[in-house]
Amino acid sequence: MDVAMTSTTRTVCPACGEPVSGTDLYCENCGAELQSSAPATPALDTDTEPTIELHTGDPGAAAAVVPGPCRSCGGTVSADGYCETCGTKATKLRDHFTEQPAPWVAAVCDRGIRHSRNEDAVAIAADPEPGSRALLVVCDGVSSSLDSDVASLAAARAARDVLVAGQAQGMGTEASREAAVIARLNAAADAASDAVLANTSPDSPNPASCTFVATVLEAGLLVAGVVGDSRAYWFPDNAEAVALTVDDSWAAELIATGVPRHEAETGPQGHAITRWLGKDAPDHTPRTTTLRVAGPGWLMACSDGLWNYCSEAAPLADLVRQTAAANGGEPLATASALVDWANAQGGQDNITVALARL
Amino acid sequence: MAEFSATVYQNEFLPDGGTDVHAIVTVDCSGAGVAGQSGGGDVGEIIIVDTSGSMGADGVRAAAYAAQTAIDQILDGVWFAVISGNDRAQLAFPPSAEPVMVRMDPYTRQAAKDAVARFYADGGTAMGTWLRLAARVFATVPSLTQKHAILLTDGENQHESPEVLTETINAVTGQFQCDCRGVGVAWQVDEVRRIATALLGTVDIIPAPDQLAAEFQKLIRQAMSKGVATADLRVWAPQGAQVLFVRQVAPTVEDLTGRRTEVNALTGSYPTGSWGDESRDYHVAVRLAAKGIGQEQLAARVQLAIGDQVLAQGLVKALWSADEALTTRISPEVAHYTGQTELANAIQEGLAAKAVGDTATATTKLGRAVQLAAQTGNEEATSRLRKVVDIDDQDTGTVRLKRTVEKVDEMALDTASTKTTRVKK
Repeated sequence: MDVAMTSTTRTVCPACGEPVSGTDLYCENCGAELQSSAPATPALDTDTEPTIELHTGDPGAAAAVVPGPCRSCGGTVSADGYCETCGTKATKLRDHFTEQPAPWVAAVCDRGIRHSRNEDAVAIAADPEPGSRALLVVCDGVSSSLDSDVASLAAARAARDVLVAGQAQGMGTEASREAAVIARLNAAADAASDAVLANTSPDSPNPASCTFVATVLEAGLLVAGVVGDSRAYWFPDNAEAVALTVDDSWAAELIATGVPRHEAETGPQGHAITRWLGKDAPDHTPRTTTLRVAGPGWLMACSDGLWNYCSEAAPLADLVRQTAAANGGEPLATASALVDWANAQGGQDNITVALARL
Repeated sequence: MAEFSATVYQNEFLPDGGTDVHAIVTVDCSGAGVAGQSGGGDVGEIIIVDTSGSMGADGVRAAAYAAQTAIDQILDGVWFAVISGNDRAQLAFPPSAEPVMVRMDPYTRQAAKDAVARFYADGGTAMGTWLRLAARVFATVPSLTQKHAILLTDGENQHESPEVLTETINAVTGQFQCDCRGVGVAWQVDEVRRIATALLGTVDIIPAPDQLAAEFQKLIRQAMSKGVATADLRVWAPQGAQVLFVRQVAPTVEDLTGRRTEVNALTGSYPTGSWGDESRDYHVAVRLAAKGIGQEQLAARVQLAIGDQVLAQGLVKALWSADEALTTRISPEVAHYTGQTELANAIQEGLAAKAVGDTATATTKLGRAVQLAAQTGNEEATSRLRKVVDIDDQDTGTVRLKRTVEKVDEMALDTASTKTTRVKK
């Protein structure tokens, strides 16, 4: 979750004293809820929100929304929305979902601990042949806007669908293949932006907005495109980690001027982004990076809910490699474990991890 | 058909590491109808009148008149009987050597009133024998689902040991409900309250015999307006949680915690007796294992059930938050009834201390009671306390015991101690 730099009112978080925007729903520093407006029952009960159908496996097939057993103890979930054994509130599908279109590609999207809504979204696709073709899209809803949870999911899926549709096989030279993929990433960002606008009420005071990161892997060609501060990385098993994206953020601009990363990212406005998708976005053309990759290694796209706790590429690579090793190299288990790890660090933001094993 | 609803009042926000969840659950009943009309079984009513020697000719005459007034209020078709009690119990009506009940009709009504007119004062007092006979009489009509008695006494339970009375109370608990009234000032509030509390009834003082008839009329009318024969409060708490207590807090304070019977491993059932169109408040406290900030779980399901059928449910929640503005808020309902419960205890403990001559404790406790009554806006309690103590400062609870106190005022304060005022919602 990020703060678009459009707000004018500035106050401080009542929990930690850090500056916050007047329209923020949560403090970007400590995750405290800012606009609880303190009714007897706070606006936490989002059960009445329209159900969002989630894709699993085959990107075209909608999974039925069936409340499963309790995620905490495996007990039966009552009609009142709580477990009949341990009382844990049943997780809404929007709050925690996974995708695994092929055994070698998987993603987990989770609400985290501090936030009452999951405004992160993920949509992925892959061909069955390991290492052949994978498409990862992560969008992170901006918390100062309305309906960002709906908009981010619509955006991620629209982008993924554009990427799935245009396969660039047999396009001649390497350069022309790359140009074709970049053009598709641009089209995917356009589609994502349109989806955000379609989920924004015309007279909304805080129009929905989100970040965008997408990676296209096709036959050794890897292209990543970014708007905002969601990230993509390539972690080869036997070489140094590669950050495929540079954040569109105030912190990134500070880092570019020589401010140490940790200082820039934890300072005031450390999470303020300078570009996003949405009605009030000045420009949403993704900035792209291209790489020739050969396995073995991990391709990862993630939201700041993960990298907040490990921002440097090298230690993040170590974390992913260790986590993968502990989970038998299985992508879904590894992504889940990374989400669990971020929650164990505090889970102050929504967390999304998408992985492809090459 | 009666309809029940349950409404929960609580602050669900717990601080980091917080474990105890308190909630007030208001249960409303509407459309209860009148006793015996729901088709769920028959209604039985027994009038138990003290005819011991201490009642005297005038007292017994007033009690007989009150019993006749009560008989007039019992609906046709209701099974009934009248017991006269002294150091042993007799079935005054129907006239029979063996326990028996009859249905109310014009003939039995007149016959019962005639029988009651023949009461005379004699013998001692052994209330346990009256209760045992009432239980045996009720047991003769297996179709009864709603069994209610009113018990009138005027004196101490002298002809029976406290142990025997306790045994009897335990033996008859759950078999019928009983509202108890003491006439005059020679009876023991604690003793009679034990009976009423166990038998899901009320206790009160009737200062003079000429007030008996009006009270009996009111009690029977109330009993006849209870269209729901019997209902239970059920409390579910999650695995590993501990139900700290379950209390009725309005209209009176009654601790239900010890009356739990198990429905299943996680759910306890607490008897609440019969219901008319009325509203009762319950205070439920549950201790949970603390969870992480931002996590939510259910602390309790509080249900109103008739038999196996759950008719209303309130959800008590727990939500751990780092926001002190949320976690430090105290539910006004919980605060109000916590104060009212402490008020009842302070009055009872203060009067008990006063009775054994412990002036210091009595002054402290009754001072605290004055303070709590003022804080919770219980003006009735304040005015009753005023008859027992001189109030120097009600905000600090500074009081002096009155030198001379009317016994009747002290007993009225005692019997009314559990009556609570509703919180303003």
